[in-house]
Amino acid sequence: MMELRKTLAGRIALTAVATVILLFLALPIVVIVVTSFSSNAFAQFPPEVWTLNWYKALFADGSKWPAALSLSALIAALSTVFSLIIGVTAATALTRSELPLRSAVYALVLGPLVIPQIVTALGLFLLFEPAAMLGSPLAIALGHTVLASPIAVLILIATLRGIDERLEDAAASMGAGRLTIARRITFPLAAPGMIAAAIFSFITSFDEFYISQFLSSVDTVTLPVRVYNSLTFEIDPSVTAVSAILIAFAILALGLVALVRWLGSGRQNSLLSVETATGVATPGGDAI
Amino acid sequence: MAALTATAPARPRKLLASRKTRVGILYALPVVVYLLVLFIYPIFSTLLLSLKSADGSFTLHWYVEALTGVNLSVLITTLRISAETALLSLVFGFLLANAISRLKPLWAGLAMLVVVVPHFISALVRTYGWIIMLGDKGLVNESLAGLSAPGAPYQLLYNELGVVIGTTSMMLPYTVLLLYGVMRGVDRRLLAAAASMGAGRVTIFRRVYLPLVAPGLASAGLLSFILSLGYYITPALMGGPNQTMIATLINQQVTKDNQWNGAAAQGVILLLLTLAGLLLVKLVSSLGASRKKRSAS
Amino acid sequence: MAEFGVATPSVEVAGGKPATATGKSLSVVALRKTYGDVVAVDEASMEIAAGEFVTFLGSSGSGKTTTLMMIAGFCEPDSGTITVGDRDVTRLAPQKRNLGFVFQQYLLFPHMTVSENVAFPLTLRGVAKDEIRRRVGETLEIAGLSGFGGRKPRELSGGQQQRVALCRALVYRPPVILMDEPLGALDKKLRDQLQVEIKSIQQELGLTVIYVTHDQEEALVMSDRIAVMRNGLIEQFDTPRELFERPRTPFVADFLGAANFLPGRIEKHDGEHTLVRLEQSGGLLKARRHDLTSGTEVKVAVQPGRLRACATDDGFCTGTVETATYVGTLVRAGVRVDGGDAPLLRLEVPAGRGPVAGERVGITAYPEDVNLFPSEQGG
Repeated sequence: MMELRKTLAGRIALTAVATVILLFLALPIVVIVVTSFSSNAFAQFPPEVWTLNWYKALFADGSKWPAALSLSALIAALSTVFSLIIGVTAATALTRSELPLRSAVYALVLGPLVIPQIVTALGLFLLFEPAAMLGSPLAIALGHTVLASPIAVLILIATLRGIDERLEDAAASMGAGRLTIARRITFPLAAPGMIAAAIFSFITSFDEFYISQFLSSVDTVTLPVRVYNSLTFEIDPSVTAVSAILIAFAILALGLVALVRWLGSGRQNSLLSVETATGVATPGGDAI
Repeated sequence: MAALTATAPARPRKLLASRKTRVGILYALPVVVYLLVLFIYPIFSTLLLSLKSADGSFTLHWYVEALTGVNLSVLITTLRISAETALLSLVFGFLLANAISRLKPLWAGLAMLVVVVPHFISALVRTYGWIIMLGDKGLVNESLAGLSAPGAPYQLLYNELGVVIGTTSMMLPYTVLLLYGVMRGVDRRLLAAAASMGAGRVTIFRRVYLPLVAPGLASAGLLSFILSLGYYITPALMGGPNQTMIATLINQQVTKDNQWNGAAAQGVILLLLTLAGLLLVKLVSSLGASRKKRSAS
Repeated sequence: MAEFGVATPSVEVAGGKPATATGKSLSVVALRKTYGDVVAVDEASMEIAAGEFVTFLGSSGSGKTTTLMMIAGFCEPDSGTITVGDRDVTRLAPQKRNLGFVFQQYLLFPHMTVSENVAFPLTLRGVAKDEIRRRVGETLEIAGLSGFGGRKPRELSGGQQQRVALCRALVYRPPVILMDEPLGALDKKLRDQLQVEIKSIQQELGLTVIYVTHDQEEALVMSDRIAVMRNGLIEQFDTPRELFERPRTPFVADFLGAANFLPGRIEKHDGEHTLVRLEQSGGLLKARRHDLTSGTEVKVAVQPGRLRACATDDGFCTGTVETATYVGTLVRAGVRVDGGDAPLLRLEVPAGRGPVAGERVGITAYPEDVNLFPSEQGG
């Protein structure tokens, strides 16, 4: 491969710049995890005394965190189910059929990803407020699905495009009916993509803040809203532990997606493949 | 035989096509209905609300209000902070993507992991990490004090510096991913070819490399600008009263002041700004595509 | 238009048909398919006998694949009928036709092992487990794949994958097996080997096979009969020997035999023979009897291998050898014919007796090897 020769100085400068910017991205996360084990939970780094107190406090009597956690999990689960139903049907329509106005449907799907979330949240507030549905977990889940379902649709479109349609033809030529083909060919091959879609829908809903805040009531406070409140109003040191748990949760979910894709691809790609990671990181990439 | 069958030739084919179309419409129905009811309709009702006065008649009062006085300065602040963020994340994104695109695959993979993973961690949590880091006794100030920097500790929080640091770190994954893709598409042999003609490093960078990645740079900058416009969490938590952005204002008007019409008007303004930005992105990318096509033919 | 319908099973076909044939006959009547203004297949008709190996031969866009897809049910004809055995399948979905299909891209199910792939069509038919295991093992053995049953398709070579695809189409004994350029993705050596294997399996089991290819040699090696297709029309449907020796159109003569064409005019008929006055050299050429009236403008077609060099006063024309290329067992010669600037006449003669460049030669051919086409017939 013909390329420009690299100079030593250039290489050192390059590495230094890359390291500094990577630290810029990674440090806030590392700092939270470390601080969550520190006896002084605020603004001191590195900690002098290590402790598990903040984690214990999360589940102490009178703590508001378990309720927020279970509410968020419930909403995320609902939203995941909705998103998968919408995602599977829409991706099928967009990849396996002749659809009039295909590009309009596609643009509609991309809409929630490019419109500012605060606008979407405001609109949903104006929709649910007159219906007296503020504070309803169902309303919040329906709202989250507006943001999560496009991601599921995009992931599943990529998944279905990756499955050779002629495999379905081959099965048909041997006498397999539509249902059999879906059950024995398409579904097993699409399973990794569906799991990825489910995980990303779940994360999207679980971390969603704007819609939750607009649609929440005193009794229904999701985890991100609780975190936000505790950062602005009621200083609660346990928020560090919650944040660390959220970080662990996100990394776990991403690891799971990578694992599923790796297994699904027949362990051919590297587990650390950039494409594996970025392929799902920019689902709206071709929109812009 | 030919005469007999020629009378009704197209029927079965049309039936098959219409079956595929019917299936398509049936399967597209859930997403279309869902988004029409819970996405498009709410945005239209926001638009209507922003044009309605208290007694229900048509008015532009809310837009006048949104574009005057304190509200106007909030809008200007929003544009300023978004521009600063876009510029910084573009510069950092360019440097990092450029560095990563020259790394060996394994190191590039690891570096991209560090870029991508934070993107999936709640922005709220990452903002909190910055608050811990930038505090008076935070990592940054302690380190600077340790190096006996004059005037430390610095005020890094609750001002514009803090907000821009925070939002830049939120936008950085987008610009890096976009630019990394563009840079990997650049044929590095072109640079060597330019060198063989006697071009120096600076000339190669300016005359060959930069024009090749320029459309990507423009899209990445515009994209982070658009995304910053509607940003809320980081400015609200890391800024002071002078860093109030339009999203914060919308939130306040709904949750505190019960002033929905005003919020709606500001939402529509934000929406229009975003759409204008997206239009620009589209323009830039089609410009880039047409240039690529011309150079290919 | 192109109805060379009635099956004329030649000696070769009858000889290749075993007593216990599993294949059924297939008939296609006036099949037509258009895409917009483009006629992909134009009134194609043919009768294929049980146990016959038939190849659709043509270049891309000839309509061969479209015809196959219509038989398989992946593409619906505008008009015409397709009958398997005595069942009209024209309007049936692919899964209801009970045919076998072998694709060029193999299309093995990546999430199933080799055995599971081959067992798939049997499980669809509710065959008992023991029976499935027995038949899968048996079929894999026929294809020389015993011991590969537990592997995943991606762990096999291209040739092995295509063998598995073949097994998957064989295992449920469909009455007709369709193959769409199944060897197209393989290298030459493997292709030759698999041609022989497929042919011998077909004969052993008495399968009816319809095979699509653009490779003349492959078609000649494998087929009982070949349908030469062009522009959606069946130019000729015949045994390889008939196609080669008695092409019915200049296209077939050129496509299969790479024939030399010489313009001429019918002079007279003489018993078993027709005499043609060649335009360029003025010489008189003796061809086998053709039913053409005297004075008709014709194209004379002779394959390079059927032309012979002789003494300058013995041939129907004379010329100078311009090129002589040694290609192993043969010498390919190009002869500049006297009396005009027509393209070089191509000859293939056994090496050792070959002419050398610069030599003056006469050209002759057996009357049996000369085909005549009226000039207005396209080509």
